[in-house]
Amino acid sequence: MTEKAKPASGGQGPRSRKFASRLVQYVLLQAVIAALVILALRHPLPEPPARYLVATFALSDRGAAREVTLPAFVPSRSGMNDPAVFTANFTWTRGETEQAWSVYLPRFTNGVEVIVNSTVIMDSRRDPSANRPDRDTPEIAVIPASLLREGTNELVVRLYAWEPISGFLDRLFVGPDDVLRPYFEQRTLWFVTLPTVFSAWQGILALILIVLWAVRRHEVAYGMLAGAMALGAAQTFLVTVVDQPRHPELNATLIASAPLESGFILGFAILFFARRWPRYATLIFVPGVLVVLVGLFGTPLALRTTFMLLGIPAIGVNLLLLALVVGWSELRRQDVPSLMLGCAVTILIICLAHDLLMVAQILPDRRIFFSRLSYSVLLVAIGAGLTWRFANALNRVDGFAAHLVIQLREAEEKLRASFAREQEQARAMALARERTRLMRDLHDGLGGQLVSIVALSERGESASGIGDAARAALKDLRLVIDSMDDIGGDLMLALGTWRDRVAAQLRPHQIALDWQIAPPGLPVHPELRPSHVIQIVRLLDEAVTNAVKHAGAKTVTVHIATLRDASGPYGCITVEDDGQGFATASDGGSGRTAGRGLRNMQTRAARCGATCEVVSGGAGTRVRLTLPHRFPESDAASG
Amino acid sequence: MTSSAEDIPAHDISILLVEDDPPTNWRLKDALEQAGFDVAAAMTLAEARASLDRRKPRVLLTDLQLPDGHGIELIRESRARLPDTEIMVISILGDEESVISAITVGATGYILKDAFPTDIAATVRELVAGHSPISASIARFIVRRTQSAAEPPPGPPLNTTKLTPREIDILWGIAKGFSYAEIASHLGMSKQTVPGHIKSIYRKLEVHTRGEAVFEAVQQGLIKL
Repeated sequence: MTEKAKPASGGQGPRSRKFASRLVQYVLLQAVIAALVILALRHPLPEPPARYLVATFALSDRGAAREVTLPAFVPSRSGMNDPAVFTANFTWTRGETEQAWSVYLPRFTNGVEVIVNSTVIMDSRRDPSANRPDRDTPEIAVIPASLLREGTNELVVRLYAWEPISGFLDRLFVGPDDVLRPYFEQRTLWFVTLPTVFSAWQGILALILIVLWAVRRHEVAYGMLAGAMALGAAQTFLVTVVDQPRHPELNATLIASAPLESGFILGFAILFFARRWPRYATLIFVPGVLVVLVGLFGTPLALRTTFMLLGIPAIGVNLLLLALVVGWSELRRQDVPSLMLGCAVTILIICLAHDLLMVAQILPDRRIFFSRLSYSVLLVAIGAGLTWRFANALNRVDGFAAHLVIQLREAEEKLRASFAREQEQARAMALARERTRLMRDLHDGLGGQLVSIVALSERGESASGIGDAARAALKDLRLVIDSMDDIGGDLMLALGTWRDRVAAQLRPHQIALDWQIAPPGLPVHPELRPSHVIQIVRLLDEAVTNAVKHAGAKTVTVHIATLRDASGPYGCITVEDDGQGFATASDGGSGRTAGRGLRNMQTRAARCGATCEVVSGGAGTRVRLTLPHRFPESDAASG
Repeated sequence: MTSSAEDIPAHDISILLVEDDPPTNWRLKDALEQAGFDVAAAMTLAEARASLDRRKPRVLLTDLQLPDGHGIELIRESRARLPDTEIMVISILGDEESVISAITVGATGYILKDAFPTDIAATVRELVAGHSPISASIARFIVRRTQSAAEPPPGPPLNTTKLTPREIDILWGIAKGFSYAEIASHLGMSKQTVPGHIKSIYRKLEVHTRGEAVFEAVQQGLIKL
């Protein structure tokens, strides 16, 4: 029994002491359960009033005749043709009551024929469940009123007992049906209906476990339990017909499948609780398989013999091993399924021991087997344990999900922080780039002009020269400041400001500004950067400055328009003067300066993806700036 | 912006010039006097206040950063006490914000410190004739404020709700460099009415301070200058 589950204790620390105390608790609990079961088993089953008891029979068994008092045993026999015949008399009086009378047989093995006044009124061999010696099926038969005679009536019971089980006939009662039937119904409830209900439960468990195993193939434990449950359910509901079974071998095999079933349950427990498969564990299936093989290929007698000699001890051994495995698991883990299963196994072992002792005649034998009924307890424990495990798994899944959510949130926060950091870095980099550009712009334009102011003043140059240089410096400063302004990609806004400046620049030179815009002006370029704007405005400044300084023009015309080609709209700005023009190839001073300015303009145009053409002649100079469809993204434009 | 309606003789126009930087003060004074205006110059806020009371000038031309105070205060006082005086601020380059701030307390014009002398005189004359000057960048600054944005752009607070869609269209045109003639033809109006609209726009941007809170807000905007 479970009491033998001794821990392989190592040290003497508080851990092993705790383990020992747990062991004691567990063993005590099992002992209490065992005691309660024994008490219940010793409690006699209720019987009808003794006045309806028919106790004394004349027995004719294999030619020998003797007087017996029930309960009585007869040796088992091989055939159906030679039953033991019990004969007795009972008295019936018409006047007593008008009720129906019955013969009630609480228990017998294996089959009975009841004959009243030479007429067969009942043959238990037609009742499949009555043919199963492991089921304690009672029988009741109503005696047809026409058969009853006033006074003494003859009652004959033919007892059939097939090997290897000896025949048994418990005390039987003849009396009014309404008195006897409640006792019969009670026994039927306990020994027929309840086991059937539990077998149905076993069938459902089998189905659930098969589905479970089909979905989770790696959980072999569930496969094993599914096998056990399926075998149990099948053997219950399979009809046992004595005379002409359709597949006698299969039938017999299923009935004898209990050892295999117990092996499967043990296998399940090993996998479920120990979580590993010991090397010799496969041996637990050997007895079961042997019994099945005998059932398939041997005679019914050989099957019964094998079952009795090998099958039942195998069941016992399996149960003991099961108790050890479950007890060990309960001691190690202290979870609900092992505790429940442990108690159920204890009950089952006590019941099986009781049944075996009874068969061995050590206990008073009334041929009432409790093993099957107690197996129901194991089924309930298995069902409850599995449900507990399942609910726990769900809880773990919930916990895991919650844990995941927390982790996800943490990861998200980290990501957000790093994203913010990256953004901050990108912003800082953009800012640094812009600052660099601004410094370069100030240095290149303003710096150069201030240096030339210093040079001019040191040379004692005229005030107007210095003024021009200072004015140019101011203009450049304004240009740099303007370029910082956000114009939302609309170059027109930058040109609007530039117009004001050009008008102010041309006015003292008496040059008219003819500003022409072909509505709606220029297309909007979201990709336009301050560096692009500054290049374009400097280029245009250069064109206007050339017109002022070298051309002697009267009018400067600025024309702004949107043109269109296959790839879409693009802007075009033309600066035209009516001056004398310049020859690009001439050696003249103005020509050379203009030539340098020209190269400058080309470079600036190239930096923002634009093209600049300059046409100069006697009638004036025309600078035509063609803007790209899309301004280049790169910072190459700066400088 | 060519001078058109010019009825009042220049010597009848009295100007109070408030500028603490002596070279700029001299330069502006020379430019205006050469154009024939009657100019009185002040270097500090205190001088300016005294002169304002005494002379009641037709035009007040003031810098914003003064040694003993802020030009904005002077503009407010002048606007309150001398409603007929045209007020101009002296602006340096790229500081549309200070011009706008001055407009919100009652200025209707501005002069660039480095403008050519002829332009300075012309601007004053135009203002007296009712034509307020406006640059593309100032127009741009104002229209930007009319666009609803999630985050207000930097600079002084500006209430543009009173501007009509037509006035906003005019500002857009100016910001993009269209001429008054082009704007007028595009909007189906007379070219001569455009400058008048500018002054009306300035007037609408003026904050009529009923409480110190608004002034504080303006001040807040100015502190950043």
